[in-house]
Amino acid sequence: MTSILEARDVNKSYRMGKVLVPALCGVSFDVEDGEFLTIFGPSGSGKSTLLHLLGGLDRPDEGEILIDGTNILKLSDGKLAELRLNKIGFVFQFFNLLPRLTALRNVELPLTIAGVPDKETLDRAREMLKFVGLETRENHRPYELSGGEQQRVAIARALITIPKIILADEPTGNLDTKTGWEIVQLMKKLNEEKGQTFIVVTHDPRIAEQADRTIYLKDGLIEDIKEAETARGTRR
Amino acid sequence: MRVSKILGMALENLKQRKLRTSLTTLGVVIGITAIIGLASLGEGFRIEIRDRMQQGFELNNLTIIPGSLFAGLSRQRFTDDDVQNISKISGVETVTQVMQIGNVTLYNGNKSVQAFVATAVNFTEFIRIFSDRFVFESSIPLTKYKNDTIVIGYKVNHPTENDTRPFAVANDSIVSTLGVPRLEPIPHVEMQNYTFTVRGTLQQKGTPGITNFDYWIFIPLDTAREVYKTVESDLIFVKVYDREKSEDIAKDIEKLFPPFRITILVPLTFIKQVDNILSIVQLFLMAIASISLLVAGIGIMNIMTVSVMERTREIGILKAIGAKSRTVLTMFLAEAMLIGLIGGVIGVFTGYGVSYALAYALSRFIQPQQQNTTFQNPTQPQGLAITPVFSPEWTIAAFAFAIIVCVIFGLYPARKASKLNPVEALRYE
Repeated sequence: MTSILEARDVNKSYRMGKVLVPALCGVSFDVEDGEFLTIFGPSGSGKSTLLHLLGGLDRPDEGEILIDGTNILKLSDGKLAELRLNKIGFVFQFFNLLPRLTALRNVELPLTIAGVPDKETLDRAREMLKFVGLETRENHRPYELSGGEQQRVAIARALITIPKIILADEPTGNLDTKTGWEIVQLMKKLNEEKGQTFIVVTHDPRIAEQADRTIYLKDGLIEDIKEAETARGTRR
Repeated sequence: MRVSKILGMALENLKQRKLRTSLTTLGVVIGITAIIGLASLGEGFRIEIRDRMQQGFELNNLTIIPGSLFAGLSRQRFTDDDVQNISKISGVETVTQVMQIGNVTLYNGNKSVQAFVATAVNFTEFIRIFSDRFVFESSIPLTKYKNDTIVIGYKVNHPTENDTRPFAVANDSIVSTLGVPRLEPIPHVEMQNYTFTVRGTLQQKGTPGITNFDYWIFIPLDTAREVYKTVESDLIFVKVYDREKSEDIAKDIEKLFPPFRITILVPLTFIKQVDNILSIVQLFLMAIASISLLVAGIGIMNIMTVSVMERTREIGILKAIGAKSRTVLTMFLAEAMLIGLIGGVIGVFTGYGVSYALAYALSRFIQPQQQNTTFQNPTQPQGLAITPVFSPEWTIAAFAFAIIVCVIFGLYPARKASKLNPVEALRYE
């Protein structure tokens, strides 16, 4: 398998007042195409920061991040936005849907930004909503949907551009156990059926159980990387 | 992202915040209403004044008086040569000279009236120049004026308002007392009676320009020359073919005389100057009105800055899913532009509406008092009838101004939105 994502000696610090707080200190790893990877770690370990860097939402202070062979440090803001649009789908803990838009319009949004014709956008958005089981809810606004439904809409939105990589930041963190499990199953199904790469930041061991590989982060450093069998074994 | 989609989303965003959008737009509406209202009303007012002055002034006629206001009025008078020279200037239709005699008393049997201005004129030339005003109420058809002809102005013939009987009618024989200067034995003025035959009485015509024939009486120039033993005159009236050339012709006339020897009253120059002043006043009013639009612009900036803060998370989401900074900038600018557009459209309509309402109110409530001034022209309608002028140029300009102001003031918040770091924006609570 080929690497779809590469992190090389990535460093990132945040300024809090006058103090520079290191978030990531020399993180390096590869993600293979079609892999289901989880990033595990306590609060403040740098998980979300890493996810933002991998998704091209931010740039590292030092080191390199290659998304599908492209070094994001060398891209302009505009090109980076294009890369996010075409190659990456984001799923957030708090769903991050636009409250004034219907489920369908939320799903359509990336294609609208991409300037795809209306007919094609509509067809694909409906297809995606059907895939996540929400074809009957397309005209509902986020506040009319349950948490699980909102997260499905968010996943549909992340999928609509058929990105190579889906980045999810605590996707079950704001859901009850049952709904969370349904979301995990949905992601796993997508990974298996569509071969999309999933990188999931999580506290939820059930997601880690589904993962091909889990990276354990602590204080901005990779503490451990465990393959599927080992990861499951550890928990047993 | 396609422009139509950006505009569509901007419109949706504005609809989401109806009250806020309405109030922000109201600022633009008021600004444009003020600009359009003042512009159209001002233009209507300017045109009304200009038209009235054009009616009031005989634009084809020039009045030449001896001397200059700055160098002192001259005691020198005009001669036949002066009249001859002026008549040779190209563009001049008719030239006539007038001798002013001063005030006289007229007697018709036991009635007497005072005429403030007795004038000696060449009737043929004079009628040609003042054909609009030198109109007879009653006259004896004449092909040639005789030496004893007298023509009486309306107010001289009707000295009191309620007296329906005129002082004289055509064919009456009346006596006029003229003061004739005598040198012997010492210089003095000797009052002498002369008998004239009334050949016509004039209609009431008021005063276009500086002369009001209502208060004048006219006798033949030749008669006056004989009585006063002079061939000089006090005023020259010139009629030109083309009123637009009257200023050039006045310059040509000036060249015939030494500096400060004469003053030429050119109605066109006066009207142009008044027109210019009114234009400046109009621009000044519009500039003041524009301030209200600038205030509206600041309102837009204020509201949009708040809006950007409120929508920080939304901006973060848009950027996370691939919207470029430019797209975010355009989205916010589109909102500002739409406010300008909507405010502009409504403002143009309300502006014209307000100008018509104001024009109506002005014409209704500002009725000039009935005065009997020398500057009144009874043939003109009373009251201020202003018709606001619809100008496509101003409409487009005001419209463009609204949009430009909104976009300029929207630029700062829009840039602020577009520069947001997506990670920080997503974290924003």
